[in-house]
Amino acid sequence: MKTVFFKAGNAGYFLNEVKTMIRLNVFSTTLTILSTGLIFYILAMILSGWWVSSYVIKVVQGEAEINVYLNEGIVNSTPEVQLMMERINGIEGVRAVRLVNQEEAYQRMAEVLGKEAKVLEKFEENPFSAFVELKINLEAIDSVLDQLNQLVGVEHIRDNRDVLDRLRHIAGVLRLIGILVVVAVGISTLVIISHIIRLGIANNKEQINTLRLLGAPERFIALPFLLEGLVLTLGGGILAVALAAFSLNYLYAQLAGPLPFIPLPPREGLVAGMGIVVLSLSAVLGIVGSLLGLPSVKND
Amino acid sequence: MTMIEAKGVCLRFPNGTKALKDIDLFVKPGDMVYVTGPSGSGKTSLLKLFMGIEYPTSGSLKVLGQTMIQGQTAGIRRLRTIIGPVFQEFKLIDGRTVTENVMLGMRFLNLTQDQLMENAHHALQKVGLEHKAHSLVENLSWGESQRVAIARAVARKPVLILADEPTGNLDKANALNILELLTSFINDQTAVIITTHATHLIDAEKPCKVIRMDQGSLTWERLG
Ligand SMILES: Nc1ncnc2c1ncn2[C@@H]1O[C@H](COP(=O)(O)OP(=O)(O)O)[C@@H](O)[C@H]1O
Ligand SMILES: [Mg+2]
Repeated sequence: MKTVFFKAGNAGYFLNEVKTMIRLNVFSTTLTILSTGLIFYILAMILSGWWVSSYVIKVVQGEAEINVYLNEGIVNSTPEVQLMMERINGIEGVRAVRLVNQEEAYQRMAEVLGKEAKVLEKFEENPFSAFVELKINLEAIDSVLDQLNQLVGVEHIRDNRDVLDRLRHIAGVLRLIGILVVVAVGISTLVIISHIIRLGIANNKEQINTLRLLGAPERFIALPFLLEGLVLTLGGGILAVALAAFSLNYLYAQLAGPLPFIPLPPREGLVAGMGIVVLSLSAVLGIVGSLLGLPSVKND
Repeated sequence: MTMIEAKGVCLRFPNGTKALKDIDLFVKPGDMVYVTGPSGSGKTSLLKLFMGIEYPTSGSLKVLGQTMIQGQTAGIRRLRTIIGPVFQEFKLIDGRTVTENVMLGMRFLNLTQDQLMENAHHALQKVGLEHKAHSLVENLSWGESQRVAIARAVARKPVLILADEPTGNLDKANALNILELLTSFINDQTAVIITTHATHLIDAEKPCKVIRMDQGSLTWERLG
């Protein structure tokens, strides 16, 4: 006959046990929640940073485009420009070719600058030159660039490989830091929680012993401690997610004004995703931390 | 089923104290057994063996069919769920109410929430502590704590009640009440074993068995 104790009536009992344990140790409980909260906050911010940079890379990559500036002599001759565009279009990997004339180039920059576009008015004539804009297959970028370089009449090629490389580097660093932080967060949370659980068990030795003498199964005895660990880390996790959501809102507001062209992921999605990851991680760490502390129940 | 079957049981503590020497004892359902003897004679040690808190260092012991040897964790845990222990020092859980303490002994048994509450209520009624149901146990008098401990032991409807000095520190009237209360749980399927050093309280009229412990040895004083 298997003993059932996961019944509705006992839920109240287990929660009450947790409440009592917390009530008897308000100070250490608060400190634990605050410190795990701080740890999870750092994790949440690094994760968000990594997430944002990955998103930006994806968007920038998707828009992989190359701008080809032609020699002075050719730009002003429509047939020659036409010829150049046909040649470029013939390169394998090029999907579309379009001429951005001086006027459009000026408008684009004005758009990017937004309010600051006034500086452009200081120029007496349009300082931008026309260029050929091409959309390419990303995989072919190296060979396309090679062939463009060999074309006569090309003065200068601008591609976003540099930007992409730099972004990739940032994302890589953030991912590395992220992994290190996850490991550090994991270890420190496990150490803190298992220690707290061990303390709780030491404080409740008599009660545990009495329950054993009454024939209570080990799982029944252990469950409140497991719940306690979960409450502590989830408390820290919720605190961290709230703080991180607040910080992200602030950062988004700061970035949206001066840098409107950075393709940030939607804020709600970012916050929700970060919240889910941090909360699940905190739950898992709480349970594992408690499980690590539990064996001390056994040696009485 | 035999309640207790002890043959040549000895208990020697690691420090060398021989608490029990060559104990033979047979307890069957319906038995009311008093274990008497001076302090330090081995009464508590005997009950500890019956609950699997200590194990015989030699001899053989069976409690409700369970062989009492080290390593029988699951069997002994199950055995403990059908025993109603009343500890000499009560072992109530501070910070909890009387009702919570009584229910604690039943939470991990196969009982519904309704049965749990009914059993607790009934037991508290029986020991006359309904009016203290919601008091914290640390605010109770000695005698009240004693009765909560008994209520917790009997509420789960055990087969075997083991009460260690349940009359200790009580005046004669209260002590007699407690003994009468414990006796009332006897039926043809249960047995009660009570340790006491107050032999004068044992009612000569009522059927019971009395054994006497002396420096770890057992002698029969009355066989029923
Ligand atoms: N854990 C122990 N370790 C060593 N000696 C013990 C232990 N428990 C009890 N004793 C000794 O065993 C003897 C019997 O003790 P106990 O069973 O408690 O007697 P009683 O309950 O009759 O007063 C005493 O001499 C006591 O000192
Ligand atoms: Mg004793």
